[in-house]
Amino acid sequence: MSDHTHDHDDHGHDHPHDHGSPAAVMTARVNALIGALETRGVATDADVTTVIERFLAAAGPSNGARIVARAWVDPAYRALLLDDATAAIAALGLDMSHWAPVALRAVENTEQVHNIVVCTLCSCYPIALLGPAPQWYKSEAYRSRVVREPRAVLREFGVVVPDDRDVRVWDSTAELRYLVLPRRPPGTAGWDEDRLAATITRDALVGAAEPIA
Amino acid sequence: MSRLNDVGGLTGFGPIEREPDEPLFHSEWEARVFALNRLLMGKGLYNLDEFRDAVERIDPARYYGLSYYERWFEGVRTLLIERGIVPPETAT
Amino acid sequence: MKFSVGEAVQTSGRDPVHHYRVPRYLRAKRGRIEAVHAAFPLADARAAGDPAPPVETLYTVAFAGDDVWPGGAEPNTVYHAELWESYLHPLETAP
Repeated sequence: MSDHTHDHDDHGHDHPHDHGSPAAVMTARVNALIGALETRGVATDADVTTVIERFLAAAGPSNGARIVARAWVDPAYRALLLDDATAAIAALGLDMSHWAPVALRAVENTEQVHNIVVCTLCSCYPIALLGPAPQWYKSEAYRSRVVREPRAVLREFGVVVPDDRDVRVWDSTAELRYLVLPRRPPGTAGWDEDRLAATITRDALVGAAEPIA
Repeated sequence: MSRLNDVGGLTGFGPIEREPDEPLFHSEWEARVFALNRLLMGKGLYNLDEFRDAVERIDPARYYGLSYYERWFEGVRTLLIERGIVPPETAT
Repeated sequence: MKFSVGEAVQTSGRDPVHHYRVPRYLRAKRGRIEAVHAAFPLADARAAGDPAPPVETLYTVAFAGDDVWPGGAEPNTVYHAELWESYLHPLETAP
């Protein structure tokens, strides 16, 4: 690793070392790469902006919260979600194929089972549905430890899973993406779907948190 | 041998750091790398597995020192250079 | 489709230098087919730029914690991973 004070590495070229912030350095590099692509007619800056806008319009944690809240209030929807998650999200007008041809699977937390999701090999996550994954999910620290001691990791997240309850770890190694269906918290009887959805965090959708009322 | 991305069960990476109310992207350049990657794959210049492979091929001596999207940028840049789409001195 | 739900399998112990999607911690491990999915192009071949990658059935395989981390697993823990057919062998059972 570099011993310079900023945390980008030395690229080993003769140009004077840029003493901008890491973000400024990367901004310049991204600009340079897109500029080179524009010059060659491959892609434009406007194209990139359009992709960001379309993605953020279609994908975000609120999609996941809607799906879970619907499953909590409607047993038939819950059954569909667990059997065929792609069909279930389509029923709410959601579609992951705008981004990549992956399949979605929902796994349900129960009194007996707690599910947690990881991608040890990279950072696979249902981004087309939920937006980009949180930084912790993509970190080596999480990816290395959660498959070695999932209960200990869950405890750090504030989720206590007793030894006599099952933990299921889902490592997204290929073309499936996972959505955890967390347990509906007590004290929410009669709540409408919007109010229920507000209890469901991004962390809960991978099994790293439990919704509370 | 397995590459550095294959970390399941390894130790020594330190605490899992969580940021309250974390934004979807921490900076504009990250969002642009993310989108550029998708754009280029959509144009068929390379596929997702080639992209993962390019990230995995980052020199091990530098790999863990790069942030997530810095690695993505390296992967995209490497693929574009290897395919002769941009010259090697681009965006160093 | 070579394997069915419930069937015992063992993951390959091979250790290739190329892009490969059996994590180290799940290699040469015994597991059980938990789900059978559609067929998808093999990641190894796609990563190498193969224009006609093999298309293989993808399986979810469940691994008991004690098989993954012998002597050191947390209790009542089951691991799952999606693995392509060529990553798996039938598990030889006692005659």
